[in-house]
Amino acid sequence: MSNFRTTQEQAHPQKKSMIMSALITVLLVNLLLQIWLLYTALNNALEGHPEVAYSTFIASFVLFLASVLWLYFLPEKVN
Amino acid sequence: MSHQDKHWKKDFPINRSQANQVSRRDFAKLLAVVSGGMVVGNGVIAAKAAFFNEPKNEKKQKICAKNEIPVGGTKSFVLENDTVPYILIHTEEGEFYAYEQKCTHLSCAVYYKPGTLTIECPCHNGWFDVKTGNVIQGPPPRPLKKLDVTFEGNAIYVQHPKNETV
Repeated sequence: MSNFRTTQEQAHPQKKSMIMSALITVLLVNLLLQIWLLYTALNNALEGHPEVAYSTFIASFVLFLASVLWLYFLPEKVN
Repeated sequence: MSHQDKHWKKDFPINRSQANQVSRRDFAKLLAVVSGGMVVGNGVIAAKAAFFNEPKNEKKQKICAKNEIPVGGTKSFVLENDTVPYILIHTEEGEFYAYEQKCTHLSCAVYYKPGTLTIECPCHNGWFDVKTGNVIQGPPPRPLKKLDVTFEGNAIYVQHPKNETV
């Protein structure tokens, strides 16, 4: 008995590649946002507003959790 | 040479297609690890703000007498129990200003340019207003850190502005 993923892969052999590309793109966007948050935290800390770092830390942590959960959707390795 | 004689295949038993797929999976995982690194970096800044935010020493410190610095001249100094270099400027308008002598771009030493009422960072052509410390042009992202200047008779004293933190 085939499941949804198996049927989809048979219908669209390129689907895994597309999924992988989409996953990596989203991970990269998350990472870019985190770089921006880190830059903002550092710049504000040097400018005398270190409290900005608390909110950027929370936002960065949420993005990190999203990135880790995102890995769940990675296509399985072909044996 | 037959296929079985290629001993290197035993030493490196990864086939090409498998290697390609693994690398993309690993790249996605690597991105998640780097994402964790960003959280750690941000956490260090937040922790420093929360636990190591000591207020600066607000004690007044005598630097020199007014007549020791000519008009348009400067004097470099370091505060007690500190290693940060500062510069005291006597402008052509007769005012005295004290700033940290480190450019906010890449920490190059800044200098007063006599006659222009501007402070110059020669490394990357950054310019600051001598009255406020604000950036006039160039790559520095922030104003220069300023010290409060006060006078007692002929003596010049400086101190950190109130509520400033390390």
